Parts: sequence; C-alpha cells; structure tokens
Amino acid sequence: MDLLSFGDTGWGDNMLRGAGVTILLAVGSYLFGIIVGMGAAAMKLSHSLLLRTIAAIYTTVVRGVPELLVIYLLFYGSAPLIIDLASLFGYTGYFEIPPFLAGLVAVGLISGAYSTEVLRGAMQVIPAGQIEAGQSIGLSKRQVFFRIKLPQLWRFALPGLGNVWQLTLKDTALVSVISLAELMRVSRVAGDSEREPFVFYMAAGVLYLIMTTFSQAIFQRSEKAASRGVRRA
Amino acid sequence: MNKTLLGIAAAALVASASAAHAQDVLRIGTEGAYPPWNATDASGALIGFEIELGLALCAEMGRTCEFVAQDWDGMIPALLNGRYDMIMAGMSITEERSETITFSNGYATTPAHFAAHPDSPHVDIDSHDDVMAALDGAVIGVQVGTIHQNFITDHLPNAELRFYDSQDQLNLDLVAGRIDAGLADITAWLDLNEDEGSEAAVTFGQPMTGVDFEVFGAGVGVGMRHEDTELHDEVNAALAVLHENGTMQAIAEEWFGFDAALAQPDS
Repeated sequence: MDLLSFGDTGWGDNMLRGAGVTILLAVGSYLFGIIVGMGAAAMKLSHSLLLRTIAAIYTTVVRGVPELLVIYLLFYGSAPLIIDLASLFGYTGYFEIPPFLAGLVAVGLISGAYSTEVLRGAMQVIPAGQIEAGQSIGLSKRQVFFRIKLPQLWRFALPGLGNVWQLTLKDTALVSVISLAELMRVSRVAGDSEREPFVFYMAAGVLYLIMTTFSQAIFQRSEKAASRGVRRA
Repeated sequence: MNKTLLGIAAAALVASASAAHAQDVLRIGTEGAYPPWNATDASGALIGFEIELGLALCAEMGRTCEFVAQDWDGMIPALLNGRYDMIMAGMSITEERSETITFSNGYATTPAHFAAHPDSPHVDIDSHDDVMAALDGAVIGVQVGTIHQNFITDHLPNAELRFYDSQDQLNLDLVAGRIDAGLADITAWLDLNEDEGSEAAVTFGQPMTGVDFEVFGAGVGVGMRHEDTELHDEVNAALAVLHENGTMQAIAEEWFGFDAALAQPDS
C-alpha cells in the first residue's frame, strides 16, 4: 500500500491528479458535446437539405469509426497541418495543439455525435400543438424555443444524456494514447514503472467507479427536478 | 517594389529561423514505463538507463536536451511529425522499423544466456566453446518463436529442443531438473532468482549478443527521422566516445546490474 501513499514516495497524489484531469476533461468534452449536439440536432431538423446532410455526415462518421481513430486523426493529423500553416507565416519548428485541448475537442466531438441523436429525439417529442399555441399568441421563434421547447427538452433528453455522460467519462481514457496525464495514463505509467500493474489498475477502477456512481446520483436528482410538475402515472 | 520588400523580409525570417535552429533544444521521446530502460518515479520524474545515457549523449554532442514522455503506441508517428527528434525508448532495431525511421548503432541489449539447475555439471563451464561442446545433444528449453529458439537451431543442431509457451513454464521444468539447460534473455534468469529468493537457476558460459551472433539482432538504438542525416552522424560519433571512455558501461551496470552496453563499431 506504500505504492499508493502521498508525496514523492508514493503515487497517491499522482493518481488523484490524474483523476482530476479526467474529471476536467470529461466535463469539458461533455459540455462541448452538448453545444455541438444542440447545433447538429437543430440542423437535422431544419428544412435545409445542406444542413441536414452536414449533420448526417457528422453523426454517421463519428459514431461509425472507432473513437481511438478520431483521436489519432485529430492529434497526429492536425500537427503537420498546423506546422505547414505556421511555416507559411515564416514560423519554422515544431508546434502542437496542447494535448488537453486536443483531447477535449476529440472526446467532445465523439460525445457530441451521441448527444445529437438524444437531443433530436427529445426535440421531436414536443407536441406540435404546443408550438402552434405559442405562435398563435404571438410568441417569436426565439421565445417559442426558450419558453416552450427548452424547458421540456431537458426532461425528455436527460435519461439519454446521462448515458452519454457515462460514455464520455470512460472515453477520456482513450486520450492516454496522446500522453495526456489523465487517470488511465498515470496508472499505466505507475504500474509499469513499479512492475505492479494490478495494484494501480485496481485503484484506477475504484476511482472510475466512484466518479460514475457519484455522477449517476446527480443525474437522478436532475431528472427528478426536470420532471417536477409532471404527474407520475 | 513590394515584392522585393517581401522577399527581403522572408529571407530575414528564414535566416533567423535557421540561426535559431542551431541552438535548438534537442527533444528525446521516451515511454517512461519500461524499467530499467526508462521509467517514471513516484514524484513524476523520468528515470532509467536511457534517461542517463541520453543526457550523457547530449553533453557529448554539446546540445541541450529535454525528454518528452510519449505513449508507446504513438512513439514513431510522434517522431515523424516532429514532437521530438530522437527516440530512446528501449526500441529494438528491426528491419521493419528501419523502413520508417533511421536507427543509430545499437547502444544496449540484454544478452542471451544459458542457465541450468544448480546441481547440473554444466554450471562451472566458462568459455563459450566449452558450452557449445557440452550442450551438443543436450535437452535445451526455449520459449517458442524466440530468437533463442533460432540460435539453438542454427548453432546446436543436435540438441533436443523443448518448447515452452511462456518463460514461467520453462522455469518450472528447469527448477525441476527436467531439462539440461535453458536459453533465454539474461533478465529472465535474474527475475527468476529474485522471485525464488535464491539461486534457482545458475547462468553459465558467456553472455551472447548480436555483436557475435547475428541472430540476436542489433540491439536497441536511437530512432531518428530519415532526413536528419547530420544528427545520425553526430549521435553515432557520440555513442562511440561514450563506449570508449566507459560512461555507457557504467550507466548500464547501474541500471541493469550487468553490462548491457553494446560495443560501438570503429568510425
């Protein structure tokens, strides 16, 4: 158990810091994913064929290829591109997107593709009659969205979004391949360096479980809050 | 007029960029999770044979270096897209990898070594030729599909080979005296004795490497981009000096507990 102690002799502090990076990355990507998902869901429901096609390509491609591939492409694919761009401006040398940002964008885009479908489904559940009612009393499109659609959207979307959150939290482990010191990478480095992989992977498993269990409780409470005022059958 | 100005500005930029390049920090990619080659300590700092050798190498080349931790899976791609300029990550020189990157001369290897049960008559044999004579026709255990298997097939065709899926199974038979000798990486025997807390296996003869037997490969080398030809020469020259003055052997002794350093070709 000395291995997991705190300070310079043990890995306890490194593991907790890794868990912190995991949480930051997961929350960041999840929020980014929801913003992307809102946009893409709106595009999927729009009248423009072009917008619908772009959104369809996005969700099909990102959900259809392995998540690891998306991360590799964004990280290793973007570096030469950025270097080429920079050299146009006379800057030579190596330049890379900070791993945290690259990880956030990659996991966020993956998370966003799943959120899109959840949000699209939720948007379609709202009865057209309510929207017509809003329009009939002279509400603008904006007002209809913020006062009628959005408050109800959460109620329908939350169970699905809770699922997406769990996926996103676990997907952050994939970012360890670009050497960002999140929980998975820290456990692998510690386990291999100390030749005690089991100890560290177990500890990481426990930390992941704590995070998922705790966040599940939060989602249950928000689902309840979003459904207040709706009678239980 | 404008074009001329632009041209001058561009030339100035290029000149300043290449001037800066000469003093650039040389970046070395390593995994930090493969002891004793390279590892990470509990304070998060990189340690290990290659970290010390890398720093000695840079001192010899008169360059400033910094280590970059990189997951093994992306080791070669990250070199190619410029995240760092050299790989020192316990990476064995292979033909397949040499198509993508250029290796320096090998700087270290864990040699292959024969071992036997402590009661075996072979354990007192010292010279390589005597070992080969004694083991002619003997029962020798190897892990299947390894360079050690290839060595026996090439050099001891009369030996009776016993194949094992894992080193652990080989160890069991060796300890039980069911085979006359085993051939494996020297670290396998060190690990076995450490686990057993005693001399469960005794190594005999001489450590064998790719220097004397091609079948064992060229060892672990510094990986670099094909196009950095100046760097290739600089690194090879510095490695030769470090072996010549014994620095390389001393660092190897410190981290491996034996001399894992490879002799450098005369340049």
